[in-house]
Amino acid sequence: MEPVVVDPGSQLLKAGFAQPDSDPSLVLRTAMTKEAAQDEFAGKSLDLSQLDVINPVQRGMVKDWDAMEDLWRYVLYSGLGWEPGSEGQILIAEALLTPKASRERMVQIMFENFNVSGLYAVEQAVLSLYAIGRITGVAVDIGHGKIDIAPVWEGTVQHNAVKRFELGGQELTSLFGMELRKAHPELNLDFATVEAMKERHAAVAEDHVAYSNYAEDCDTVEHTLPDGKVIYLGRERYAVGEALFQPSLLGIEEYGIAEQMLRSVSSCVPAENHRQLVENIVLCGGTSAMSGFESRFQKEAMLLGTPSIRPSLIKPPEYMPDNTLRYSAWMGGAILAKVVFPQNQHITKAEYDETGAGSFSWNNLTRHLAYEYTNINV
Amino acid sequence: MYGGDEVSAIVLDLGSHSCKAGYAGEDAPKAVLPSLVGTMDPMYLPQEPEQPAKMGVDGDNNNAVDPKTGKPVEAAAKKSTRKLYTGVQAMGYRRDHMEVVPALKDGLINDWEVVESIWDHTLRERLMIDPKEHPMLLAEPSFNTPQHREKIVELMFEKYQIPALFLAKNAVLTSFASGRATSLVVDCGGGSTTVAAVHDGYVLQKAIVRSPIGGEFLTDCMLKALEGRGIAIRPRYSFKRKEVRPGEFELTNVDFPNTTESYRRYIQRAIAADVKESVCRVPDGLFEESSYANIPTTPYELPDGQTIEVGADRFKIPDLMFNPALVQVIESINKCDVDIRRELFSSILLAGGTAAMQQMKERLEKDLIEEAPQAARVKVLASGNAIERRFSVWIGGSILASLGSFQQMWLSKSEFEEHGASYVHRKCP
Repeated sequence: MEPVVVDPGSQLLKAGFAQPDSDPSLVLRTAMTKEAAQDEFAGKSLDLSQLDVINPVQRGMVKDWDAMEDLWRYVLYSGLGWEPGSEGQILIAEALLTPKASRERMVQIMFENFNVSGLYAVEQAVLSLYAIGRITGVAVDIGHGKIDIAPVWEGTVQHNAVKRFELGGQELTSLFGMELRKAHPELNLDFATVEAMKERHAAVAEDHVAYSNYAEDCDTVEHTLPDGKVIYLGRERYAVGEALFQPSLLGIEEYGIAEQMLRSVSSCVPAENHRQLVENIVLCGGTSAMSGFESRFQKEAMLLGTPSIRPSLIKPPEYMPDNTLRYSAWMGGAILAKVVFPQNQHITKAEYDETGAGSFSWNNLTRHLAYEYTNINV
Repeated sequence: MYGGDEVSAIVLDLGSHSCKAGYAGEDAPKAVLPSLVGTMDPMYLPQEPEQPAKMGVDGDNNNAVDPKTGKPVEAAAKKSTRKLYTGVQAMGYRRDHMEVVPALKDGLINDWEVVESIWDHTLRERLMIDPKEHPMLLAEPSFNTPQHREKIVELMFEKYQIPALFLAKNAVLTSFASGRATSLVVDCGGGSTTVAAVHDGYVLQKAIVRSPIGGEFLTDCMLKALEGRGIAIRPRYSFKRKEVRPGEFELTNVDFPNTTESYRRYIQRAIAADVKESVCRVPDGLFEESSYANIPTTPYELPDGQTIEVGADRFKIPDLMFNPALVQVIESINKCDVDIRRELFSSILLAGGTAAMQQMKERLEKDLIEEAPQAARVKVLASGNAIERRFSVWIGGSILASLGSFQQMWLSKSEFEEHGASYVHRKCP
């Protein structure tokens, strides 16, 4: 049986067996409601307008462990078809800066409640780079609940230079909602509708000058609301993308995302590495799929950086499926799982029983594997 | 008391230049941030508009206005509520009227509010832990005063409610990191260079010699040298680049008149420090103007695109450290008992960020061999890895806190409650 790869995000949980060049077989919302008899239920067709929706993963970190356990149970047994008694191996993608206690708890749940035969956990940033065939570079992951900027050097995340922002797709949706209310005060839209509109129409202006010009004159697109009404979206849809480059639109005192990426790279200690890092940038995460985002990011990075270094975004290789950048952490996990488990680099049940949850440091393992990876053709 | 396996201790090392923190047992600190905070007087804080999202930094609105007179509430009540911005991210953002305040002065804690803010940020936002659950090992300067120690102990137990604490001297931790119980530790840090003799795990207080020449002094010299040559170091926020034609860029100056002088210096120093770390090398012998007048220069690219050539300054600046450093080592050894001097000479440890400069170890060894008494065998040890030299104090702490035999030495909360803060002098010598 293939090892299972799971990437629990704040909005979407991606899971599936580690098959090369394939999408995650199970992509469902990380949201649950309580059913009458205390069981929690999760599923794709969840009616999210219900009030008591529980989000066990917030901002990339697991906050509600009981709910999370039930979600795991659903995903592993019902979703992927594991049989109790013959559980396989699992590779989990974690957010950056996950506290040690959180990781230990997860390890404990996996071995004690689910009796997995082997476990391995990696940071999402490293996996995103593996998905596009690199072990060195900067992963800029713009998710639903958080933005992570992580320089990775030869498979190890440079923790000192990592930047994490508690800002993501959900804040952008709120911003979009606010802008829509300003432009169309008669509309009363709920969060889910606004989110769907954002995913279809949000875009990024060419540069900040173009954005301010849109205030006077902007192209519009037509959108049909669920109740049949038709509205025209103008500047509001560009505000969503602009907020990533000018966080003052969200009321936050920070520099835009391209500048944050450059600053993160410059706080990596050996200065010789900066060039290689900036020339290997991966933009991943759902929000980065906005139209116009990549070209704007590249343009800003070029303007803000030193002239000798040319920032360049890496595209996934042709043999990878189309959705690679959206699910890059899962894809990278699928690739890594092919290396880790056959080589027995993971934690087995026996090792867990002996040493407990506390003493695993995967850093050294990952670094060693990074060298292996460079010789592997996926 | 505390089993070494289950509970992970936190090792915290607050230095003049940076604060290092992480879990015991790991090989490098997870969180490294500057020991500075940005402060803003409450009267400059902006009124916060309607926000759809809030970031990690808490946005308390300190602009309390007396409703009757409409004037701000008197300064006395607000003096302690100046807003502090901690951490690389918050300090990296240029704000009007934000001053930069260091946490330590002359190596000792000066401003307790600032230190608390740094610890808060490190523990809660970078490591994301609850201090109540983790014993803390704090590294302290070898010359720390008893009052400071007691204040740290009180702060840790009362404010952070930690379960157990230990204060270890920097020199002892460095010694541990290299596996020796007796050594002479030359700690070339950011704020100062301290030479301390460690014998059997205890620092010999009378043999501590300090000099104010450290990494930051060298950075200031580099900054002066560059300014003296007419090179203006422009902070990143002060210019903007525009693409006039494809491939060609033009620089325009952006003016922020309300940026404080201390902030500007902070950013300029950061750039000068990077120049220093990239190009400086310790000369093989004493620096003489004439011999270095014609050496080839090394290029360095500043953030605004200017390429500068650094020539003799590459060697001149690190040499400034040498003359006092050498004297310090000899002085320190001479203050120790005659019996241990031989052992000290043969195990001199180099630690600290500034010690990571190239050729530092070789030069120190060479100079010492010349100055030391004939019979002594001089050996200077330094780990090859620059990162390990920078964090050697922290690494020593990580090793110490994860030893099984150390677990009985923690000063626990109950002991603190029973005997008071002065108990620390007995438990942590």
